[in-house]
Amino acid sequence: MALPPIVLIALFIGFPILLALGFSLGFTGGLNHTISVIGQNVHEAQGASPTFGAYGDLFVDRRFLGDLGVTVIVTLVSTTAVVVLATGIGLYLKFRGGVLGKILSGLAVVPLFIPVVIASWAILGFYSADGFLRSVFALAGLEFPVWSFSMVTVIIGSVWTSLPFATLLVTSGLQAVPQAMIDAARDAGASFWRVVTSVVVPMAGVPIIIATTFTAIGILGSFTVPYFTGPNSPNMLGVDMSNYFSAFNQPQQAVVMAFVVFIIASGIAAVYVWANFRSAKESGAV
Amino acid sequence: MTTNQTLSSSAPGAVAAEAAASTPTRRSGGLDVRGLHKVLGGRTIIDSLDMTVQPGELVSLLGPSGCGKTTTLRMIAGFLAPDAGSIKVGDREVVHLGPEQRPSAMVFQNYALWPHMTVAKNVGFPLKLRKAPKLSKSVIAERVEAALALVNLVHHKDSRPARISGGEQQRTALARALVQEPELLLLDEPLSNLDAKLRVKVREDIREIQQRLGITTLIVTHDQEEAMSMSDRIAVMNQGRIEQFSTPSELYSAPATEFVATFIGSLNRLEGRVEDGRVVGGEGVVGIRPEDVVFVEDTDGGVNGARHSAVDGLAATVERVVPRGHFAELYLRREDAELRAFVTGALPSVGARGYARIEKWLDFADGKLVRQEVAQ
Amino acid sequence: MAQATLESAAAPRESAPAPAEAKPRRSGKAATGLLTTVLALLLALFIIGPLVWLGVRAFADTWTYPHLWPDSWTTHWWQVVFGDKALGVAVQNSLFFAPLTVLVSAVICLPAAYAFARFEFPGRRFFLIGLFAANAFPKMGLFVSLAALFYALNLMNSILGILIVHVLGTIVFMTWIPSAAFAAVPRSLEEAARDAGASKLRVFFSVTLPMALPGILVAAIMSFLASFDEAQGTYLVGAPDYMTMPTQMYSLVLNYPTQVAAVFSILLAIPSVALLLAAHKHIIGGQLAEGFQIK
Repeated sequence: MALPPIVLIALFIGFPILLALGFSLGFTGGLNHTISVIGQNVHEAQGASPTFGAYGDLFVDRRFLGDLGVTVIVTLVSTTAVVVLATGIGLYLKFRGGVLGKILSGLAVVPLFIPVVIASWAILGFYSADGFLRSVFALAGLEFPVWSFSMVTVIIGSVWTSLPFATLLVTSGLQAVPQAMIDAARDAGASFWRVVTSVVVPMAGVPIIIATTFTAIGILGSFTVPYFTGPNSPNMLGVDMSNYFSAFNQPQQAVVMAFVVFIIASGIAAVYVWANFRSAKESGAV
Repeated sequence: MTTNQTLSSSAPGAVAAEAAASTPTRRSGGLDVRGLHKVLGGRTIIDSLDMTVQPGELVSLLGPSGCGKTTTLRMIAGFLAPDAGSIKVGDREVVHLGPEQRPSAMVFQNYALWPHMTVAKNVGFPLKLRKAPKLSKSVIAERVEAALALVNLVHHKDSRPARISGGEQQRTALARALVQEPELLLLDEPLSNLDAKLRVKVREDIREIQQRLGITTLIVTHDQEEAMSMSDRIAVMNQGRIEQFSTPSELYSAPATEFVATFIGSLNRLEGRVEDGRVVGGEGVVGIRPEDVVFVEDTDGGVNGARHSAVDGLAATVERVVPRGHFAELYLRREDAELRAFVTGALPSVGARGYARIEKWLDFADGKLVRQEVAQ
Repeated sequence: MAQATLESAAAPRESAPAPAEAKPRRSGKAATGLLTTVLALLLALFIIGPLVWLGVRAFADTWTYPHLWPDSWTTHWWQVVFGDKALGVAVQNSLFFAPLTVLVSAVICLPAAYAFARFEFPGRRFFLIGLFAANAFPKMGLFVSLAALFYALNLMNSILGILIVHVLGTIVFMTWIPSAAFAAVPRSLEEAARDAGASKLRVFFSVTLPMALPGILVAAIMSFLASFDEAQGTYLVGAPDYMTMPTQMYSLVLNYPTQVAAVFSILLAIPSVALLLAAHKHIIGGQLAEGFQIK
């Protein structure tokens, strides 16, 4: 019963990834033949020994290195902002609740239902040269910077699109902390912030870590938000991949970028898996 | 930490005794609650409640579910703000303080041990929070060790709560409360999650530690046996009010109200009164404890019925026999009423005939005790 | 056992005090209240602002900077959109692919979700993590890699090819969330039904499935949205033969005035918002969070 999705994934994700790995290392035979004939600047392996030519191309390319840095920074900043916002909303809902709490958590979920393409487009307009923020400041006689087509809108867009998922996970994690645990800490003499930092957040640690890793992985490989709202250069690797594949016709280099992103994402994924095992251990299951 | 161990000089007991000696207990203050009032959702949960607990005394709040005992405890602990009233611990008014500022420590019903901390970390957490004076790590470790020794849990100090048994979790929660050297110890249904055997042992342990430390203690429970066996005094609560606040034996022998009489122990409750050993209808309620009904089995086939009636009471038939261990409960039918009686020794069989006599009874009017009477 | 005791701890035995009663006391309540209100307004501006700004644009005729409102209004852009055949086709395609994706994904994944929840088989955890790892590979990179395979299998510019791309994006949702929902159905309830004389199949359809339905519903909604939102892969595999609403957005943005994109955005958001209103209760209710923990 568990087989169909696994087969599907093995065939259409696992297998292509392996093919791509081979292609990135210069193995251009078999299914990789067509693409290597069409593509330009393809490094071919000599027999069975792989070539790291395509990797070499990129790692001396200043533009690529710059974009890699930008990708990592955008991921870090956006993920931090998302997790802080989600935790803040979750804590408010947990400790204050009320109408405002419901409104906050409801607001944070709205982006889940807006296609990313639209979101990017809307954000672009909102922060553009004739956008809302600049209009408001101009009416007050102030000059507000144009954020559209800069890394600022990429970060804003990333936070905007990632917020619902993280908020849902973190909020329900925080809600699951039993009131008695909080009461016990307060009875022991803990202040509000001490209760939050020593009891509530650690006890909701696993959902928070899961939210963090999913958010980070999603932003790391994102395409639509940086493509629409970001500058031509530097931009995130998702956009570069598309450019190298379509515009520059260098599929091998595009695939190499995918692997670089994948390696970073795997590191993050490892944290996720570790967090899950830790929670299993804490509940006495392992 | 069985009573055994503490009485004998076996090693853990000795450690516990030493720990108790080295744990400087703050002189426990009493608890004084005046005019406590709480309305929740339009319903009066606590109705101007007054209660005084003497220093070093162990008092139980006993009552059925929904009587307001937990609400009272939560207000005393500071988790719930009363609408009116004062709560004094020692001489200090604490009603405006949050739970973190009150000199009380609570053991929660489900223990509320933090799953991400070890047993020692759980117990040490309250000490880590102390600001004035700030405690050094070594002092904290020492006090945690002493508290764990008190409940005989030193060997589990590095375990996570999920890894230890329910009884051990309970003792951890107790250690976490005791380590704070509270002036007032609060326990919310401390035994409800333990199995029957462990419950008896743990309640003895709690009582023993409480007496040794001389700590003022308030326990919420719905279990009358638990309350009777541990407490110096019991406050029986019903519908947000204290029905009676006295010693366990007084509660039993002289229940102030009909509610207390039925709630504590067993009671034959009959409408009317007792006249010449016979229940007669009328106003008022009469309560007869089953142990005050004496049943004598007929041995001569009713030949001397008249003589028996004079001495042994009215003719009665055994309708049901329920063995209860060292005694049995008989359901008796007499011409005037149905009565339950406790008997020990040889049991009559169902259908057996005999005579049942009422030795003592309680007269109630409007739910209040009017007098206790003893048969001539 | 710990779980069970924790749950009952959350609900006090008597007259459960409202959580609001247990609030920590803090000084400067008014100040914090003001601060949170300001922060809430900023969050509202951050989330809703761009959408409103875009929505107004769909009806704008002329709009002079820095006015906060258009100078004149028009429905002209709506006529442009409804008059454009290509855009209509895109709407049709989207409404064709999204439900089909949910259906195919459910058929493929739900049995697996049940198996993950109820059976312990070798490699179970490995496969669960594998599902997740597949999600960690950047989408753009995957589509680039997938291209080679699709060329070989003749799936480029085909309905099946697009469907595969869409289903791939839903597998994690369709497996994990229902799996957690199945796992949450107490075995004792199934056993009680078996005891009452129901067959295994009957138990599944009358007890397990109805109880897991909210979770499956959430998974279906997430899958629908994922498919409805999918642009990169669809563009790579289907363009220009098969354009869906999001892929059409790509070209719209480049080739039409902003107002047309705004109108199209509103149209594109309608099904999603309808789903939001229909199902927000279940999604907020923690079904989603439950699904994302490997057990």
